[in-house]
Amino acid sequence: MIQEMLQSSPGWFNFIFFFIFGLVLLLVVLGFVTYSILAERKVMGYIQLRHGPNQLGGRFGLLQTVADVLKLLLKEDIIPKMADRPMFILAPVIAFAPSFMVLATIPFTDRFQFADLGVGLLYYVAVSGLTVFGILLGGWASNNKYSLLGGARATAQMISYEIPLVMSVLGVILLSGSLNLNDIVHAQKHGWFILLQPIGFIVFLIASTAELSRTPFDLPESESELVAGYHTEYTGFRWAFFMLAEYVYLFAMTALITILFFGGWMAPFGFLDFIPGAVWFSLKFCVILFLYLWFRSTFPRMRADKLMEFAWKILMPVALANIMLTAIIKSLFF
Amino acid sequence: MTLTGEFFAFMALALVAIIGGVLLLNLNKVVHMVVALIFTFVAIAGIYILLNAEFVAAVQVLIYSGAITIIMLFGIMLTKPYDDEGESASNGSKWRRILLFLGVVGFAFAVYVGIYNFPIDQVPSNLHENNTLEVGKALYSKYIIPFEFVSVLLLASLIGAIILAKREDKEGDSK
Repeated sequence: MIQEMLQSSPGWFNFIFFFIFGLVLLLVVLGFVTYSILAERKVMGYIQLRHGPNQLGGRFGLLQTVADVLKLLLKEDIIPKMADRPMFILAPVIAFAPSFMVLATIPFTDRFQFADLGVGLLYYVAVSGLTVFGILLGGWASNNKYSLLGGARATAQMISYEIPLVMSVLGVILLSGSLNLNDIVHAQKHGWFILLQPIGFIVFLIASTAELSRTPFDLPESESELVAGYHTEYTGFRWAFFMLAEYVYLFAMTALITILFFGGWMAPFGFLDFIPGAVWFSLKFCVILFLYLWFRSTFPRMRADKLMEFAWKILMPVALANIMLTAIIKSLFF
Repeated sequence: MTLTGEFFAFMALALVAIIGGVLLLNLNKVVHMVVALIFTFVAIAGIYILLNAEFVAAVQVLIYSGAITIIMLFGIMLTKPYDDEGESASNGSKWRRILLFLGVVGFAFAVYVGIYNFPIDQVPSNLHENNTLEVGKALYSKYIIPFEFVSVLLLASLIGAIILAKREDKEGDSK
């Protein structure tokens, strides 16, 4: 339907329609963020032999995050006196906007996609790379040494890990012969790419955890060394925007892994086709999301110098070898 | 000229690109300039999309987002961030300003004439469909030798960077 809308002649009706659709997606994503934070706290709680939030909103703490967000909205908005005011205000916007932009190209089911881009995968990687400006800018504008260190670390980490991230999906691109996410899903009709690309999947999973700066790689905001990293000076709603960007990326990255390696909305076997694609997508999505939460609560943080060595000396050669291997396999068997 | 969506998009992107460029020249702090640069580059990527070169647009954003953050880091490391602006813009004599203005107008006129009379042959092409595929075909068949030269150049610069970094390391060890 969106395809028809995109090709029809422009007008106010289309504008309003797209605006409402975007707004709905934003609300859905906000709902996801709220409950993924709760899920994260519950999973971490049970892994650490405690209950997690269980006071607000029934036995499972269903309203805990809602209350937290409400608290953030009511908080006093502080801009430090010596901070660079315009940049301090601009930084959360630059950090958040790309995280929502990348969702446009993700096909949730065969019908539900906002923009069927020919270079969808590349678009995702390119636009998500823009967030690092916001982080570095926020770290610099705060005029605080911990913030600046956190921002610099985030930059080094994100730029280094972007390379193995892209290299590891090259195998998928080789096998499917397209950068379009829809074509990649359709290419997995006879077998998920995790079966054909196990090495690529592992490299991608590790590099994506680093891109999301989640726990084994959460050096930009490691609280034992840097207070809170790049968002030390941020309060209230501006801080919430940084957090929101982080969790929207979690949403987007999980969706991307589902599409690239687990066949997106397609059923694993032909005879299970009667279950709608959205159900399959959300099932796979939840499993991968749980994997990320699991990582977060079980791995210790890496040291800063090891982190860089790991990206350049281990992940990158492995990803390159995977490309070679995939090329050989493709030319021999496909 | 008809007012189409493309026209509006082009105007908005061009305005953002030019304003970014002007701000880049006029701002005082390095980090502010780099932010202006970001807007220019992203707007130019948007113009590529209008021209159906979606692959080039994505690569532009991908490459420059890394490059600009590095520039920003160097800017932060090599300058004093919170210096009060010392000297304001230097004011020359009246004659100098007038000559400068005439020079700018002359240059603008020359560029306008040059671009307006530039012969662009409208070659029908099918680049808008399967853009990435077409770029790849052209790059690996027609332009293979320049492509290989560029990769040799990149390799040479890579080795140069390694040698520069290594030398410093050795001196540090001997001390």
